[in-house]
Amino acid sequence: MKKGLLKLAFVLLGFIAVNSASAQIADTVANACARHLGNQFISDGQQYRALLMNADETAEFHTTLYGGTIYRVAACSGLSDGNLVFSVYDSEHNLLFTNSEFKNAPYWDFKINNTLDCTIEARLDGAQAGSGRAVVLIGFKQAK
Amino acid sequence: MRLKFITLKGSFVLLSVTALLTAGCGGDDTANTDELPPVDSTQTTILNINGEIFSIPSPIQTAFLIKNSGAAYSKEILNPASKSSDYSTNFSKALNLGIYGADLGYVTIYDQTQDAIGYLNSAKKLADELGVSGAFDAKTIERFQKNLGNKDSMLVLVGVAYRSSDSYLKNNDRNDVSGLVLAGGWLESLYFATNVYKTKPNEDVKRRIAEQKSSLQSLIKLLTQYYSQPEYTEFIDNLNDLATVFDGVEFKYTYEKPTTDAEKKLTTINSKSEVNITPEQIESISQKVKSIRSQIVG
Repeated sequence: MKKGLLKLAFVLLGFIAVNSASAQIADTVANACARHLGNQFISDGQQYRALLMNADETAEFHTTLYGGTIYRVAACSGLSDGNLVFSVYDSEHNLLFTNSEFKNAPYWDFKINNTLDCTIEARLDGAQAGSGRAVVLIGFKQAK
Repeated sequence: MRLKFITLKGSFVLLSVTALLTAGCGGDDTANTDELPPVDSTQTTILNINGEIFSIPSPIQTAFLIKNSGAAYSKEILNPASKSSDYSTNFSKALNLGIYGADLGYVTIYDQTQDAIGYLNSAKKLADELGVSGAFDAKTIERFQKNLGNKDSMLVLVGVAYRSSDSYLKNNDRNDVSGLVLAGGWLESLYFATNVYKTKPNEDVKRRIAEQKSSLQSLIKLLTQYYSQPEYTEFIDNLNDLATVFDGVEFKYTYEKPTTDAEKKLTTINSKSEVNITPEQIESISQKVKSIRSQIVG
């Protein structure tokens, strides 16, 4: 009985520590990523994140991009840039953009002429080993 | 392999031990990726439905559209900031935190600085009561007040505050609250649009109303996992009723090749889209949104 309680307490403690460590990692990555939005883009108020276990896993972020707007998508994993490959597809899965063609640029701007639903797919660069916390941030400003 | 999004709710002794050991060791700032131990969990968070994450557009974007349409400032369409004391449950506080965020964006865009301070304080009050620390801290309030009159900076600060709130809620496994904040903001922006369309019909506003179809579907997917909780049941039923009206709204999308300027890090999306929404559908949407909102703001 005593052993069981101890084990339970240990597991709970571990759970709290894991959650806390995970949250800290996500916040650290997000803070590093937020600098790419700068002070010209208004955050959409959300922080999108996923834990990618290897380069074969892909995170999918579904969003609507409004016409007459310039968006900045910042995508990060870890504390240095270039670890995350992100690609933007339309609703018919036509590839609209991938940062893999631009040295895994950590952010990119999109001028939207007509509203569209799209999917942002993010995966770790195959050259990087291990797992990582992927964070995607979206900012916007009005197109002139 | 498609991603299995992961939360760390599962209790895995080995993982816990590893985490306990690593948590105390400090981070390695030079690491390229934030190395984490393998996790075997299939639990998903609110924003991870079947391996997908849904984004809800910022209500501030619709407020911009309304201002650009030439509509005059109308305080009547907002939820009075003074009502923030009326909300007693976390459910109503979360929804109204989202509503106040949209209102704060609206008054800021219309350069109503005094009203902006009122809405900022109301949002802070609800955030504090929800236990969302840091999102509207003294520093943020001070920065906001220092930038009064500088609309662009104020809006950036509002976005940062709401993103901090979203992050805090997700870090603390309060994804339900996070979803409600999004729902409140989304509903308020649709309420703006339907009201403005009534008084000053405009093609852009009409289109924006129609464009809410997919955001509504996303919201329903986000919130449905909480359907069994009494407060959520009626709210989600109402959203589903609204979605039924949106079912008749038609979209036509035509892909066109985008153009990219690598030097400017800019891609222009040239695809075309058309929407078809009838006056009757707009009227039904308006009535339904008004009804749902009135239940929330009281």
